[in-house]
Amino acid sequence: MTSQQLPPGLIGARTRRKEDPRLLTGRAQFVDDVVLPGMLEAAVLRSPHPHARISSIDISAALTVPGVFAVLTGHEVRDACATPQPVVWRMIPDQRMTDQYALAVDKVRYVGQPVAVVAATDRYVAEDALGHIEVEYEVLDPVVTLDDALAADAPLLYEDWPDNVSCRQTIPKGDAATAFAEADVVVTETLTYGRQMGAPLETRGAVMSWDPFTDHLECWMSTQSPNLTRDLLGEVLGLPVDHIRVRTPHVGGGFGNKFDFYAEEVLAALLSKRTGRPVKIIEDRLESFVANAHSREQRIEVSVAAKADGTITGMRGTVWAVLGGQLATVGIGPCWLSMALMAGPYDIPNVEATVVGVVTNRSPYGSYRGWGQPKANFAHERIIEKLAHELGLPANDVRRRNLIPADKFPYPSQVFYYDSGNYADCLDMAENAVAERGWRKRCDAASNEGRALGVGYSFHIEISALGPSKIMNQAGLQHSSFDEEVVRIDSAGGVTVRTGLSAMGQGIETALAQVAAHTLGVPLDSVTVLHGDTQTNPFTGYGTGASRGAALGGGALLRASTRLRDKVLRIAGHVLEASPDDLEIADGVISVKGAPGGPSITMRDIGDAAYRRLDGKLPDGEDPTLEERDVLDPDNVAFSYGTTAVLVEVDRETGRVDVLDYLLVHDCGTVINPMIVDGQLHGGATQGIGGALYEEIVYSPEGQPLTTTFMDYLIPTATEIPRFETLHMTTTADHIPGGFKGMGEAGTIGAASAITAAIEDALPDLTLHLARLPVSPPRLLDAIDVATASKENS
Amino acid sequence: MKPAPLDHVRATGLDHAIETLVAAGEDAKILAGGQSLVPLLAMRLAQPTTLVDLGGLRELDYIRDDGDTLEIGAMTRSRTVETSPVVAGAVPLLPAALRYVGHVTIRNRGTIGGSAAHADPAAEVPSVLRALDAELIASGPRGPRTIAARDFFDSFLLTTLEPDEILTAIRIPRQPSGSVVAVEEFARRHGDFALVAVLGAAHIDSSGRIAEVRISIAGAAPTPVRADAAERLLVGRTPTPELVRAAAAAASDATDPGSDIHAPADYRRTLATVLTRRCLTRLVADTERTEAA
Ligand SMILES: Cc1cc2nc3c(=O)[nH]c(=O)nc-3n(C[C@H](O)[C@H](O)[C@H](O)COP(=O)(O)OP(=O)(O)OC[C@H]3O[C@@H](n4cnc5c(N)ncnc54)[C@H](O)[C@@H]3O)c2cc1C
Repeated sequence: MTSQQLPPGLIGARTRRKEDPRLLTGRAQFVDDVVLPGMLEAAVLRSPHPHARISSIDISAALTVPGVFAVLTGHEVRDACATPQPVVWRMIPDQRMTDQYALAVDKVRYVGQPVAVVAATDRYVAEDALGHIEVEYEVLDPVVTLDDALAADAPLLYEDWPDNVSCRQTIPKGDAATAFAEADVVVTETLTYGRQMGAPLETRGAVMSWDPFTDHLECWMSTQSPNLTRDLLGEVLGLPVDHIRVRTPHVGGGFGNKFDFYAEEVLAALLSKRTGRPVKIIEDRLESFVANAHSREQRIEVSVAAKADGTITGMRGTVWAVLGGQLATVGIGPCWLSMALMAGPYDIPNVEATVVGVVTNRSPYGSYRGWGQPKANFAHERIIEKLAHELGLPANDVRRRNLIPADKFPYPSQVFYYDSGNYADCLDMAENAVAERGWRKRCDAASNEGRALGVGYSFHIEISALGPSKIMNQAGLQHSSFDEEVVRIDSAGGVTVRTGLSAMGQGIETALAQVAAHTLGVPLDSVTVLHGDTQTNPFTGYGTGASRGAALGGGALLRASTRLRDKVLRIAGHVLEASPDDLEIADGVISVKGAPGGPSITMRDIGDAAYRRLDGKLPDGEDPTLEERDVLDPDNVAFSYGTTAVLVEVDRETGRVDVLDYLLVHDCGTVINPMIVDGQLHGGATQGIGGALYEEIVYSPEGQPLTTTFMDYLIPTATEIPRFETLHMTTTADHIPGGFKGMGEAGTIGAASAITAAIEDALPDLTLHLARLPVSPPRLLDAIDVATASKENS
Repeated sequence: MKPAPLDHVRATGLDHAIETLVAAGEDAKILAGGQSLVPLLAMRLAQPTTLVDLGGLRELDYIRDDGDTLEIGAMTRSRTVETSPVVAGAVPLLPAALRYVGHVTIRNRGTIGGSAAHADPAAEVPSVLRALDAELIASGPRGPRTIAARDFFDSFLLTTLEPDEILTAIRIPRQPSGSVVAVEEFARRHGDFALVAVLGAAHIDSSGRIAEVRISIAGAAPTPVRADAAERLLVGRTPTPELVRAAAAAASDATDPGSDIHAPADYRRTLATVLTRRCLTRLVADTERTEAA
């Protein structure tokens, strides 16, 4: 289990991030910093209706606005594209696809759907011109909610479908029917997870330059998946990929939204082709609330069958995915994952889970940090709490009784093999830490003052290091998921790593540099990590998402660096007339082990020997240059996990919840940089707090989005979040070089479960069963009123 | 999010501002700190043809202690008012309330006149002006006039200012010495507009009786609400928890809240009750302690 333990060194060091001086002093370049000669700016006309047929579009007046260069409509876009907008996750073979283009062709299916696009001298003029485009709509009845969509007489979004259901799949394990028939107790819950989205500070954007003479397309994009983007642009635009170069400057926050492939990049490319000029398109904040992938919204029905002692024998669940008006790049993917991981960390022999994808007149449902996992977690953790309540047992006792024991790994779940873990230890560690910190005493003291404090726990697992490409392809992924890394030592001993991963604030430059520096034995400062250019950098399958960058990029780089180190030692051995096995490298100096002050040679000398003055230094049979590449296509994904404990205060009179303290005990295998891991956990947990208490995309009953600014879509700020504390365990992923597991999404997964449990714990006199997120103050006050009334009536 | 084309005129004096406003007609808009107006322009929710920018009018940037009243020029920045010892001495309710307006960076730009003229019913400044019976001074082509706060706030984001009038100053009666003030605000996050805020000021006499009390409520009606009935219940009485509860109920009765995505009307009414009780409890806390001693 610990065969991958690495000796102490730069891997595991809390080093400062290499990218921060650039980011913090405003010197980093983002896509909006790209300004090209002759560049135009584009703006999109978006549908004001949730559901309507486009009767006609008149662009003639817009074309006469001074400064306007081109206006495109849906028919032109369809004719110019080789395929509709792609959907890369197709795990349900008979799924009905929506096959939409970058502009609506004859029907709009959500407010904000692009209908026309203008390229003009600048964004001001482009927006002026939008006001001169005349669109006649035949307004149709909207399908706003899940229940609207499922109603017997519901209007159809796609008239050639029999209903509004895009897909349905059930994956069984064991025999759930028998388990439920023989159970001592069955508990059931229906949960509603609110619609939410990632909201990076830098909205999406692209600059596209199509060379009309060579049909080469230069792209600058704020994307997490440059290689996938290049391939998809090639498919949609009918261009060979060697004609497409995607450059990704710093990405100002990704959160999964920027994994997906959107209409705007296609539109900017087509406008550039039409005008012969580079075209910039930057989503503004207002647009971002309808044009950026929405996520999270589901209704989940979940039940468990259990013995009287709390042993869970069976689980059933249905995930109702509230998809939007068309499928986004990841299709049913996130909601399918909610279904596939519904049993979470528990050893449940009989599971039967179903996902149903339902289209509605809302913005498309795409990626957001956590993917389906926060919802799966909410399902299994809420039902554990309810079962514990039913049986009169502490919830953590029920957890402990059902957590997968360490000796059962690799554990076959409904779909995946969980690779490794010490789940019970993790829960114990969290409980002990909470006891040491005296949270329960704080609750009691507060209670004496008439205040309501409570402690809540959740246990989460996180799929990471995605993943074995062929298995992913079998599961329906229309792309690979390996990672390729290249490491080179130059003629003066400096190290350059080339990666296809995107730098989006997560610290990938630092993490990769630590892996290379640790393995090669050189100072961190001597390593440069280059990213953001498909022309010169290696191929990352999938993209910088699915918590795979550090694990797979790190693993590939570790192997490449190890081979490069071997070559360095062979050259050094030749020069020093010693066996390479007897040499060590420390701080860029190669010397004989255990002989301090003895003969040595520096990395700089090695670089010189491999590139410049080879004679007498480079051994015969060694090629000049110092470069290695490696591709890691792992045998399996890797599962990280953790326990979240929170202390909250509830104002019973107003329903307000304050998160006072927050503790995460976490295991992601070998930690490359604990400071980065902590930061990722803190950021994810902040988004989790947002999802639990603040953030919700709200539509009016007529299908109009009501949350279109940050005054209405409430992201928690520094004053709403507590101090986070993180404790680490290390159970390595033995199938990944270095033993790394990913963890970029962890913080988002268990937050809502722990917070809702803590709220209930703060009000021990009431039976609350919170089932809807976010728990806004009015909702909590309602729940308190209902629970108080039912207590008084009983 | 780019404004439609417009003319920007930086006024060189009050007269110039009024002339520009009159010349531009109905489609002109006054720009003060821009914290409310600029987002409206960017979203093209407001599309004025001319912006009359008061940013250079130093003559409207002052705080003057006139003894019985305090006068503040309309272009005085909120942060300046909030941190002024003169203001704290004369009308302590104002700085206590300003602390809840957005964030410091917003108060550095936003002006006291802009806050009043914008007339957001959830805003703090209009509620202070209502609570303290302030007067607003406006100037236009027909000369200056004075408007009582109770006549100034007309409806949601609407005042009784004429389109060609500029708010030049607010005048607030000095609070009696020994006044206590308390603000109870419920906002979803720090710096957000209040769902409901209750602003209170009281003067308790040496016998422990409430000699004067002023309560206004933000966010619970199309305009700031003055809780007169609650005040009448309290004046002349020695506060007790029962009295405070009754006053809180009366204050809530005076509200007429609407529903939005953040809270239904009922919830806001509940908040009005709870926050008024908490506000009054804080105001009279000293007294109760004195009595107990
Ligand atoms: C993130 C954020 C949070 C905020 N939170 C709060 C809050 O919690 N509470 C709160 O009260 N406010 C809040 N505000 C609003 C802020 O206080 C504004 O600054 C203020 O409401 C308007 O003042 P201003 O000087 O910026 O006015 P502007 O935005 O320049 O103008 C606002 C309106 O008033 C008119 N106007 C301005 N000055 C005059 C004048 N002298 N005569 C006639 N008309 C005039 C303008 O034409 C315009 O219609 C917030 C703003 C932001 C951006």
